Amino acid sequence: MEDKKQGADSNSKKGISRRSFIRGAGLSTAGSVLLTTNAFAFGSEEKLTAGKEFGPGATTIQMKINGMVESLSVEPRTTLAAALRDHLELTGTKVVCDRGSCSACTVYLDGKPVNSCMMSVFDVGDKEITTIEGIAKNGELHPVQEAFIEHDASQCGYCTPGMVMSCVHLVENNTNPTLDDVKNATRGNLCRCGTHPHVFKATLAAANKTN
Amino acid sequence: MDTRKEKFPYGIPGHNLSEIEREIPIEEPPVWPINDKLKIIGKRVNRIDAVDKVTGKAKYTSDMKLPGMLYAKMLRSKVPHAAIKSIDISEAKSLAGVHAIYLIENTQKEGEEKNNGKFPMVKYVGQPLGGVAADSLEIAKDAISLIKVNYEEKPFVIDLEAAMEMDAPIVFDVPITRQADGGDVGEVHDGSKGQGNVRGPSTSSFFGGPRGDLEQGFNEADIIVEKTYRTQVQTHMPLETHGVVVDWRPDMMMVYASTQNTNAVRNEMASIFGLPKSKVRVVCDFMGGGFGAKHSAGSFGPMAANLSKKTGRPVWLMMDRQEEHIAEGNRPNSIQYLKIGAKKNGTLTAIQQRSHGTAGVGLGAGVGRIAQVLYPCPNFATEQYDVLTNAGPGAAWRAPGNVQGAFGLEQAIDEMAEKLNMDPLKYRDLIDKSEVRKIERQRGAKLFNWSRRQPAGSGKGLVKKGLGVGQSTWPRFVTLDSSVEVKIHNDGGVEIRSSVQDIGTGTKTILAQVVAEELGLQVNDITVNIGDTFFPVGPGSGGSVVTGSITPPTRNAAFEAKTALLKLVAKKWETDSSELFIENGQVGSKKDANLKMPFKEATKLMRTSQISKIASRSDDYGGFQQPWGLAYGDLGSVQFAEVSVNTDTGFVKVDKIVAAHSCGRPLNIGQLESQINGGVIQGISYALYENRIMDTGTGHMMNANVDQYKVPYSMEIPEIETLIVEEYSALSSTDAYGIGEPANIATAAAVANAVYNAIGVRLHEIPITPSSILKALNKVS
Amino acid sequence: MNKFSWYEATSIEDALQQVNKTVSEELYQSTNNAAVFKSGGIDVFDWVKEGLINPQKIINIRNIPGLDVISYDAKDGLRIGSNVTLAEMASNSDIKNHYLALHQAINHAATPQLRNMSTLGGNIAQRNRCWYFRSADHQCFRKSGDRCFARHSETGENENHAIIDNGSCVSLHASSISTALMAFNASVVIVNSKGEKKKVLMDDFFVSAGQDIAMETILQAKEIITEIVLPAPSKNTKSYYIKQVARESYDWSLGDVAVVIETSGDTCKSASIVLGAAAPVPYRSVQAQQAMEKKSINNTNAMAAAEAAMSVARPLSKNGYKVPLFKSIISEAILKIT
Repeated sequence: MEDKKQGADSNSKKGISRRSFIRGAGLSTAGSVLLTTNAFAFGSEEKLTAGKEFGPGATTIQMKINGMVESLSVEPRTTLAAALRDHLELTGTKVVCDRGSCSACTVYLDGKPVNSCMMSVFDVGDKEITTIEGIAKNGELHPVQEAFIEHDASQCGYCTPGMVMSCVHLVENNTNPTLDDVKNATRGNLCRCGTHPHVFKATLAAANKTN
Repeated sequence: MDTRKEKFPYGIPGHNLSEIEREIPIEEPPVWPINDKLKIIGKRVNRIDAVDKVTGKAKYTSDMKLPGMLYAKMLRSKVPHAAIKSIDISEAKSLAGVHAIYLIENTQKEGEEKNNGKFPMVKYVGQPLGGVAADSLEIAKDAISLIKVNYEEKPFVIDLEAAMEMDAPIVFDVPITRQADGGDVGEVHDGSKGQGNVRGPSTSSFFGGPRGDLEQGFNEADIIVEKTYRTQVQTHMPLETHGVVVDWRPDMMMVYASTQNTNAVRNEMASIFGLPKSKVRVVCDFMGGGFGAKHSAGSFGPMAANLSKKTGRPVWLMMDRQEEHIAEGNRPNSIQYLKIGAKKNGTLTAIQQRSHGTAGVGLGAGVGRIAQVLYPCPNFATEQYDVLTNAGPGAAWRAPGNVQGAFGLEQAIDEMAEKLNMDPLKYRDLIDKSEVRKIERQRGAKLFNWSRRQPAGSGKGLVKKGLGVGQSTWPRFVTLDSSVEVKIHNDGGVEIRSSVQDIGTGTKTILAQVVAEELGLQVNDITVNIGDTFFPVGPGSGGSVVTGSITPPTRNAAFEAKTALLKLVAKKWETDSSELFIENGQVGSKKDANLKMPFKEATKLMRTSQISKIASRSDDYGGFQQPWGLAYGDLGSVQFAEVSVNTDTGFVKVDKIVAAHSCGRPLNIGQLESQINGGVIQGISYALYENRIMDTGTGHMMNANVDQYKVPYSMEIPEIETLIVEEYSALSSTDAYGIGEPANIATAAAVANAVYNAIGVRLHEIPITPSSILKALNKVS
Repeated sequence: MNKFSWYEATSIEDALQQVNKTVSEELYQSTNNAAVFKSGGIDVFDWVKEGLINPQKIINIRNIPGLDVISYDAKDGLRIGSNVTLAEMASNSDIKNHYLALHQAINHAATPQLRNMSTLGGNIAQRNRCWYFRSADHQCFRKSGDRCFARHSETGENENHAIIDNGSCVSLHASSISTALMAFNASVVIVNSKGEKKKVLMDDFFVSAGQDIAMETILQAKEIITEIVLPAPSKNTKSYYIKQVARESYDWSLGDVAVVIETSGDTCKSASIVLGAAAPVPYRSVQAQQAMEKKSINNTNAMAAAEAAMSVARPLSKNGYKVPLFKSIISEAILKIT
């Protein structure tokens, strides 16, 4: 499959059935295609009725990431974090604790923040993944990202993608967050440089601006 | 020598600002006025690499992916003390996807134990024994689990006090010289003095040795405080672990490193592999935290290089979280005995300090210079002992030694104040001779509202409030071997180059600010390319040396480049270049206001495509250079803490911190706040949360992960107010210094003093936990 | 993680046909052909990452239809499907309105990210967090080893460990949500491969270490949790939950308590008081319950109940502080019922 990315239609509601999600092992190159209804004929009648076994070797699967469909060849033991970082070079997602305790690997699965280090890439199915690389749209930063810059809410920057993911999710789902709300949203995000006070300020400022 | 005299701002604005005349080298740039009169320096300027960070585009060492790259994993010892009889790699070798296995063999060096076999003796759990390179990290891990190490186990000792016993198992039966790597670990000794596992003592620092006569000092004292304080082992836990990607090509060893010191890693790799420095290139663009532990190539650097050499392919080798905790450095623990004498009027007559600490298999477990220099006292002596144990080696950790030392001293001073029936802040006014800390106490106390402080333990109710204060000092360290290249291109582009790295402190941004200020441009006009040993040598990021070391050369180089450019304009305008200046992106003339030329246009006058100037920095103005390249002086800080203690559950919460700091001329206010916040939060963590838990029966660290090695998350963060005191000392062309370490020193003591004020019982040991509070309150039977 | 194959189960029957081991069994006696369940996966992947289990196959039960429903009925009570996430429970208004202590317990559990992943079934079936048990370098009783490292009076690092029922293992059950569930007299609905369904009270679902050192629940390999059901509380039932941690943001419990009291005026008609992080499994404090029954809810009686609860405590070398800590949170939780 040709590795080309084009403008994404992230609003596409058409899902990928589990069968088309998991393609035959013959396709081994990683690639991505535009997520449109024309690319695949996804029929709801194709839903699986019996269980299927994959692996332990590599299987080529497709995932919806940041509005694109990506093909990649992975083993069931490959975590989503490893798939993003090592197979798709989406290295904004960081692995810090590798046990779900630091949230540096936060991505959204159908809009919900999850730890990509604690799930198999086979857990994703036809859910849509959003990574830190998908937060800015068409080169335009999200207000939370703008505010992080304005309020110096990153030091070494290694926790920053995870922090941004937690804070963007908050601001998108709570139009008027309080300081406690921001603390709640980032309670799982480890930062060793101690940037939290600026993260709090930035997120509250972004929420104010968004309103 | 060609010099000139200039008048510099001197002192603290709003307090005692004056001028001082200094004789400076003739080529140094003109005096900068105080920040109020500058455009870009001392302002809030956005971090220039912030967009990369918030979008996930910033590439760290761990993010590197090179064509053909292999993933490596280290083999580590599972036992704390042993000789290795054999290592069986046969199964691992035949695993599909494994490309190379490298085992560390014994190279008997002078001073090492003689009874070694083919492999080095194992001295702690986690000691590196070898490594595997494979197609994927998972395969490398599979291969490691297939390697069988046959140990001949020996008795071991983990606990500091147990190791001090005369009949304790001996960790090394020879003198050792291994220092905690990097940073400033204070005065060192050769590890040959002492008995058993107890080595030393170190009795002096670069501030000198013992002073006066202790016995006489204590005889003169009316009041004596004599206490023992204890601090725990703390591991660095940077978010990005230690590691490298090494691509050893035939003509060049390329090293991508997560490091605080590209230059040191380059020198180390060159020396280990017998390569000229010019054949090793170390690059660190983005770096995910170090806090003192990332100054060297470690064992992973040579391991990755050996695997790269064996396979002819680039090798990625990053530590996992457990390896990071057990083998990549820690702040040693301490047991500090302190005896302080004072007269009835409060005058200090004597300070005696004796400390023991363990940096595991390394040295460097002292408690710093705080007791020696924070308060003038005529009679002083310290003995700082290193105790060897079978645990991972210590490493520099943000203000090494001094954080431990401040926890003891600043509580003892509080205890003395109480015995004198004096307010602890007033007592410090009496005995502290630092002008900058005096101002910090005044301004800080006002901001914090210190006057609301009540007598210790006097609060009513279950949850008791307490207020406390702690102070610190940090020298103005400077690395004179610091150089920068500033290039002006003939399209108006301006570029800064140095091997100095930005470890998250914002070095890239302050360099851009300095050059923008000097060239009359905006920060956005400047491109910063640093963290590459192909560029002029910059300092390591340790000891808070970076700002003081690298900003003067940066300004100097920019000034030289500007001078060269203005000469071209002067020639065109047929005037003297000394009449010209650049402001708001325009070259102008002091004589003729009509003469204007945009900067970009001026750069087109060049005969060559660029002006390139490399500059270093002069000795400190005023002749304060020390033989070892360090400059003294006091970067003072005063921190105030407010805590709540639940006397039923023992739960302690820090509610508020006011942190008053000096760092010479402040360069970037936002970044300074960030670093002060970080120092404070790490200090709170040290006081209340983090603690390396070792099972002394097996030698393993039990909480070598993120969830049980506890550090603060969002809800533990108090309100933090920073107070930055501008202070001009006329020592260099920027007169600016770092803040990283000063920010971390006083916090734990301030918190401990506040806890005492809340409950009326003093805790002499950290971390302060629900358990220790309930014990202190006699609630545990 | 070791190489494993992935089985995407589509129904309960399908899943039960594939499975051959519980994670607990595999931890106790490791084999090379284990096929284990995973739902949210947090606990299972933890074990695989540590190399403590090396399953040949992981059966994903997360997408089995029908297990992700919460329903509430004023008469029949609350039913929560085993694949319901903690986040879904946290935002459920029926839980908040009728089972306050459960709502509070969920809000103190884990992180927002983990709550989006963790399922209730996995949460109650997860294994304890004793750091010796979780360490590949320490073969303790729970892993068919020959000792308890944590208990050792000199070298045992047991500051976080059990103070009650700690005779054979001193670990703590990791699910603080179970503390609240048990206090509401919740039952676990389990289906086996023969299609038989049983409903087991939480009190009987957990297995004490003395009963079976390998297991923490009665769950067998060929069994699957389908839902957790809570009886409807009476109109006068009130509840409260307190979890004491060292770090509020995100931490394992030092001690937690759920109190469910049926009141009559300011008198306690009946009390259900369960302690978390006190014993190897959630611990129903019969002593505290008895102390409160038919008593008015006041400071003296609450303190007496807390004292009674702690009368059975036998702290280890480093966790004596838990006794006053528990006394404090038990009495406080009782007093919140007014």
